[in-house]
Amino acid sequence: MVVGVGDGVRGTHREMSSCFLDEETFCQCCQLFLQHSHSLCDGWSWQQVKGSEEGYLRKTTLGTGRTRCNQDQQGTSSDQHQERTFSLSFHDDDDDDDGAVCCIQEESSSVVQYEYHILYSCSYQTPVLYFRASTLEGRSLCLEEVWDSVHPNYRQRLQHRPWDTITQQEHPLLGQSFFVLHPCRTEEFMKPVLKAALEEHRQVNYIVTWLSVVGPVVGLDVPLSYCTQVPEPPHTPSSSPQPPALGTKPG
Amino acid sequence: MADDKDVLRDVWFGRIPTCFTLYQDEITEREAEPFYLLLPRVSYLTLVTDKVKKHFLKVMKAEDVEEMWFDFEGTPLKWHYPIGLLFDLHASNTALPWSITVHFKNFPERDLLHCPSNSVIEAHFMSSIKEADALKHKSQVINDMQKKDHKQLWMGLQNDKFDQFWAMNRKLMEYPTEEGGFRYIPFRIYLVNELMGIPRIHDSDEIPSKR
Repeated sequence: MVVGVGDGVRGTHREMSSCFLDEETFCQCCQLFLQHSHSLCDGWSWQQVKGSEEGYLRKTTLGTGRTRCNQDQQGTSSDQHQERTFSLSFHDDDDDDDGAVCCIQEESSSVVQYEYHILYSCSYQTPVLYFRASTLEGRSLCLEEVWDSVHPNYRQRLQHRPWDTITQQEHPLLGQSFFVLHPCRTEEFMKPVLKAALEEHRQVNYIVTWLSVVGPVVGLDVPLSYCTQVPEPPHTPSSSPQPPALGTKPG
Repeated sequence: MADDKDVLRDVWFGRIPTCFTLYQDEITEREAEPFYLLLPRVSYLTLVTDKVKKHFLKVMKAEDVEEMWFDFEGTPLKWHYPIGLLFDLHASNTALPWSITVHFKNFPERDLLHCPSNSVIEAHFMSSIKEADALKHKSQVINDMQKKDHKQLWMGLQNDKFDQFWAMNRKLMEYPTEEGGFRYIPFRIYLVNELMGIPRIHDSDEIPSKR
């Protein structure tokens, strides 16, 4: 059972089925995940930051996405355009003095290269999915195009709370722009799954479970064999519940 | 917190005199004069530069204008870093006013986040607040606040209203000693020499076992 360590310290009640992940368990889950990926030739690799213990899982795929034609000819500085960022309906901005607005253009389905990274977030103690997408000519997709590429089944859920879902962020290790599925709701869906697994004495690999929920939303497929073939990392007895020393990372 | 009020005010009202110059290769109908502005340290470039945009748009044709972005001595400025931080990282050793170059073309896609509207800045700001509270209070304070409280926090920043902002922010800065205070203190360290460097990443088949 994956349990976040280091927090029973202030006498607050802590459920057995914690939905949080410490970094060591994250690495162990990734290692097991990676082994299965190699056996399937599923394309995942581990990228290590030189001189540090930090790293992330990475995979690139080719998929289809909804892209705009004539992207370069538009002025994206229009203020009218922006409120549409999280809405899927497009409005006519004929009276916009700044010129053409991107939402009027026709969309088409084209081949898109996706790059996915799975990182660990110390702040949220969960994994986080970063990704970027570009056309085969190397043009990066904008947020609207990424939104359009999200399967209709998932769009409504994401629309509810715009600033909790897909946003553009700086990659914590590379410093480049990526899209991110915000991690602050991870607890909500992981908690019941982990609790049920505990009660039913089932093994759960946190990364597999988590990725099977968030991956498909952004076009990342997780073959079913991951769920049956990838074990939980061996449970190490948690260290005695002392408060972490000042200056060390949580967990 | 009462004793800190003066310090809080000084931090909030910190300003950086800045000179905005249009990039020489931008296409203009006539020469563009530089534009001077006092930038608030605790805000974001894209939030406070509407006047800059309006100023330069006067001498440009609409079709030559795309998303505005800034550079300092050739380095694109990340709008999602607070202005004071950008100045301290890039220009603290240079003479005032801070000279920033304005661009309307060739947006550096890999390096900069897009900022099509203020909602994006708001989302980014609130995301940072949430992350900080995850560390301080396990997100309890931010989650207990209502949507209108979140909005007030943002509006306080957007409209440069110290009292409005701190009316909400003080809840997030509460440090109840009887409950052990902050769980963790959130802070970010920015290393100057890492700024333009890309960390060296290599493929590894093995994930190192933990310390």
